[in-house]
Amino acid sequence: MLIFRHQDGSKLASPEQMQTWMKQTMDWIGGIAAQNKFSGGNGLPFDDAKVVHHGNLVTDGPFGEIKETIGGYIIVKAGSVEEAVAFAKDSPVLQGDGNTVEVRRIARGDGLH
Amino acid sequence: MKDFLFIYRMNYAGIQERTPEQMQATMQRWMDWMGHMAAKDQLIDRGNRLHPSGKVVGTDGIITDGPYTEIKESIGGYSLVRAASCEEAAELAKGCPVLTMGGNVEVREINAM
Repeated sequence: MLIFRHQDGSKLASPEQMQTWMKQTMDWIGGIAAQNKFSGGNGLPFDDAKVVHHGNLVTDGPFGEIKETIGGYIIVKAGSVEEAVAFAKDSPVLQGDGNTVEVRRIARGDGLH
Repeated sequence: MKDFLFIYRMNYAGIQERTPEQMQATMQRWMDWMGHMAAKDQLIDRGNRLHPSGKVVGTDGIITDGPYTEIKESIGGYSLVRAASCEEAAELAKGCPVLTMGGNVEVREINAM
C-alpha cells in the first residue's frame, strides 16, 4: 500500500494545478497498471473528515500528533519492498515539498486483525 | 450514499504480548463489528491490516525505514464503508475495537481515482 502524505493539507491548489496533478497521477498509475501491478486506490479529499476516539469522542481533522494529511493511497503488487519503493519514487505526490509516500506491506491471515 | 475510508491508527509499541485466546477474542470483536456493518450493507470492503514495518519515500529521494511506527498513531489497517454522511460514518466507527486498544479511527470520504 502506497500512502500519500501531504505536508500541508490546508493548501489549496488552483483548478489548473489540480488538473495537471490528476493527469500526472493517472499517467503514473497507468504505468503501474501496464505492468499488471495496480490493485486499486482512492483519493481522499481533505475536507469533511473526522477522527473517532475512545469514549465516543469525535473530532474534525487534522489527525492527531502528526502534521501530514493523507491525500490518498494505491495498492500495488510488488515482488519486494524495493520494487514497491521504486513505484513510489515516481509518484507525483513527491513534487510537493515535504510530502512523502509511505510504503507498507499488507498483512494477510496472521490472525491479528 | 457515499463511500468512506476508515483508517485504523494505533500504537504498535503499546501492543502487549497476547495469549492465543486473547488474540482470538480480539479477532472475534473485529468480526462482530464488521459483520454488524455488513448486515446493514454498509461494509464495502473489510480492507487489510498492514505490517508494522515499511519505508518512507521523501521528496528528496531519501528512503527511510520504519515509517511512522515509532509514533503513537501509526496506520494499522483500513476498511471501506458506505454511509449517508460523514457523521453517520463516524457513528459506525464508534464501535471499532481499535478504540479499546488506545487507537483511533480516521474517517475520510473517498474520491474514486
